[in-house]
Amino acid sequence: MKISEKILQVKEIKKTYGSGENQTEALRGMTFDVIPREFLGIMGASGSGKTTLLNCIATILHPTSGQIMLGGEDIFSFNEDFLANYRGKKIGYLFQDFELLDNLTGRENIELPLVIHGEQPKKCEAAIRTLAERLEIVPVLDKFPSQMSGGEKQRVAVARALISNPSIVLADEPTGALDSKNAKTLMKKLSLVNQEDGATILMVTHDANAASYCSRILFIKDGAIFHELRRDSPNETQSEFYDRILTVLAQLGGGSNNVL
Amino acid sequence: MFFNQIRRNSLRSRKENSLFFGSLIIAIVVFYVFLSLESQDVIIFLKTMESDAIRKLLVLIPIVYAVSLFFVFFLVYFANKYQLQRRSHEFGLYQTLGMKRRRIFSMLMGETVWNSLIALLIGIPVALFLTELISLATANLVGLGIIGHHFRVSWTGLIGTVGGFFAVQLIAMFLLSFIMSLKEPIDLLRDETEGTQLLASKKSGWIQLILGVILLLIAYAMGLFLLKTLSFLYIFAVIGILVTGIAGTLLLFRGIATFIGYRVRKNDRKSTGLATFTGRQLQENVLHQSAFLGIGSLLILLAIICLAYGVSTIFTRGDDGERTVDISLQGERQEIETVLTSKEIAPYIYAYYPMNLDTMDWEIVENGQGYSWGTLIEAIEDLPYSATKENLLNNLLGYSPFLFPLSSYNALLASMDQPEIILEPGELVLYNSDMFSQFRDDLEKALQSNPVIELDGQTYSLASEIRTQNLVADRFISIIFGLVVPDELYAELVSDQEPFCWNVALDPDFIEDQGLMHALMQVGGLLNETGLTYESYLSGIGRQLFYIVAGSYVSLYLGLMFLIIANTVLGLKFLMQQRSTRHRYETLLVLGAKKEALYSSAKTQVWVYFALVISVAIVNGIFGIASLLNSFLRLGDAVSDEMFILLSAIAVVVFLVTELGYIWLIRSESKREIRRMSSLNRG
Repeated sequence: MKISEKILQVKEIKKTYGSGENQTEALRGMTFDVIPREFLGIMGASGSGKTTLLNCIATILHPTSGQIMLGGEDIFSFNEDFLANYRGKKIGYLFQDFELLDNLTGRENIELPLVIHGEQPKKCEAAIRTLAERLEIVPVLDKFPSQMSGGEKQRVAVARALISNPSIVLADEPTGALDSKNAKTLMKKLSLVNQEDGATILMVTHDANAASYCSRILFIKDGAIFHELRRDSPNETQSEFYDRILTVLAQLGGGSNNVL
Repeated sequence: MFFNQIRRNSLRSRKENSLFFGSLIIAIVVFYVFLSLESQDVIIFLKTMESDAIRKLLVLIPIVYAVSLFFVFFLVYFANKYQLQRRSHEFGLYQTLGMKRRRIFSMLMGETVWNSLIALLIGIPVALFLTELISLATANLVGLGIIGHHFRVSWTGLIGTVGGFFAVQLIAMFLLSFIMSLKEPIDLLRDETEGTQLLASKKSGWIQLILGVILLLIAYAMGLFLLKTLSFLYIFAVIGILVTGIAGTLLLFRGIATFIGYRVRKNDRKSTGLATFTGRQLQENVLHQSAFLGIGSLLILLAIICLAYGVSTIFTRGDDGERTVDISLQGERQEIETVLTSKEIAPYIYAYYPMNLDTMDWEIVENGQGYSWGTLIEAIEDLPYSATKENLLNNLLGYSPFLFPLSSYNALLASMDQPEIILEPGELVLYNSDMFSQFRDDLEKALQSNPVIELDGQTYSLASEIRTQNLVADRFISIIFGLVVPDELYAELVSDQEPFCWNVALDPDFIEDQGLMHALMQVGGLLNETGLTYESYLSGIGRQLFYIVAGSYVSLYLGLMFLIIANTVLGLKFLMQQRSTRHRYETLLVLGAKKEALYSSAKTQVWVYFALVISVAIVNGIFGIASLLNSFLRLGDAVSDEMFILLSAIAVVVFLVTELGYIWLIRSESKREIRRMSSLNRG
């Protein structure tokens, strides 16, 4: 596989908090790649370093050492202004709590990553339309978040993450604040944009159900990669993959070895 | 441990929120400055002179104090509310960890007391310094710089300040703690208090905007016309103006939110960057707080009017011409000369002379030969029409002129080291006191045509220069029109040759050494022992001063207080909104907004927010002042409307500078808040 085919390369990422005796290692030299059109899941127990990893890739947290290459460029070799340019444009975000600005309408929220970077809202009208239709949020485009359901809010957030055609979408527990029905709808939509539009998605999740939509899953434990699962599509059904995930999760929890 | 926690928490409050702590100090200074009025140089001096009037003024103090307490309460309330909002997460945590509400309450009260003590420790010295400064400045401004100044502490003022401040702080904190105790711990933990986007219907928004403007226009019209004409309906007119004005302003602000929303929608398609976000933030700010902005704007309006009125009072009343006579004595020549040449008093005397002044004898007027203003009247009639001119003519025609012998007038000039008047044969000099200087221009123009007047059948010409010096020490005795005549003519026309009084000029070196006030008081004391009746320049100043102090001091004080309170509270309110929507800024950062873009969005928000409030207040203020000029406010005749407007403009500049200062302060505070949330390594 050529380097140019890798959208994201994470090389020997380390992150330590504190110093001296109080030092804790959140990430202990993690290395992996993400290729285009991939739907990568990251799973792990609380405190395993998932969020730290995501924040590093999101450029809102500096790793202590190591490199993160996006499209072949080391993102931390640039200054703050450049990083600001990166955010929203090259990277799309999906948060657990949606993080929609509640005094902006749905449409205004979706446009944000573009207008922040100086684009005319007029130009993206067609793109908004397409995304809104695909995500079934046309009726709420001119509503404020307080007038939307949780599922609608998260789908508006998906549209916001996708509007700038980012190289990669980072999703942090996107189903965390949704009920199972809305979670299912959301995952189907994400899977759709991954498969049909070729969006690359990196999703951190606790939820084995949500993870079963991924094409590959990295399990991390104590700041390092512990296991990797690939879905053998199209031979493997989603529910078979789900079962395999559950098995690894049980192992991750220590398996039967840890039972006292 | 408990006390340490209180100390640490309050230290953090002071560090994190300088505006909060600054407002507390301002509250203290505001209280003390006003309550210490009694020990100001000017007032102490006036007490010796106009004790009755001062007593009445001092009765006003508790009333204004109560009003101040009320407003300062709001200031303290909002400052504390902002501070508690910032710490709401902390309180939620305490409760989650099992701290009893009672204990949180006593911790907050403890912090309040501790913070108040520190604020007092800083505020009182500042207040003392400021009162000294004000005392000196007022004294200088009104020409009292000459009083020997002593540092004074007003103990009643101090007690009132400390008591009032603690009361206001504790009541505000009590209320806030009570409100907080009604919330669930989880709500406190969430640390988010902003309401959801209110969607006022567009139609009602526009109606409110239009209705607000109409009501304001009605209020302006009533102010300009009703107050002037319908004097018997005054009270109704005033109530009408207040109701329409206040309702209009409040409605206007509600409507403005809709207008901002409309602008955002309209520009939505072409604006880039954070323009939409900025607009929506503003819309939310104005809509959620329209009543608040309205009240803030009305407070600033009050401040504008008070400042304009106060400043103009200082200048209009302060101009009372030069000092000519220090003391005027009444009594027999011999008696007076004995006293003035006695060894106790003589060293202080520079000059003394009899001042003769009187009107023409009644018999001469009766003869029909009396007096006539002759061609002076015609010369004045030829001048272009003006209200002053008509007034001048009416006064001249009904007025028998006072006459002064040349020797008296020259003695007055000599005592001031000014050149004497030399009269040409058949020439008289026209006199017009400074108190009536509004006629000066017309008279000078009329004199250019060399008019002649008649006295007892004789024709005299008038010198081109008009004399204006005060003839006696008491400023209340002033003469509109008079004539300086040769001594022989005075003897012919006035049979009573007894001087009106004996004027005394004190030794200039002595005055310079002691200060005018002390010099006058010292000699006055000596004269009191002799039993002579006398008038001193002091009482004249006293009366003038009283008007200045009563008129300007109180209104300037109230003006500044309204200004400070309105701005601080508005600023705090803005910061509170920014605080409660901080996660929006965080989201924007993650979406790639640059810090500078956020700063400039916040900057625009601060500017528009304040500009809205201030511009409405200024428009209201212009009409308010115009209405005042038309009605209640009677300017000294010597002051033209232009002068008043100029002085008001000075007040407006002071006002704008204060506003800019506040905007700058709020901007930097808001910037700091954003910087705090935008540090890259948030962990």
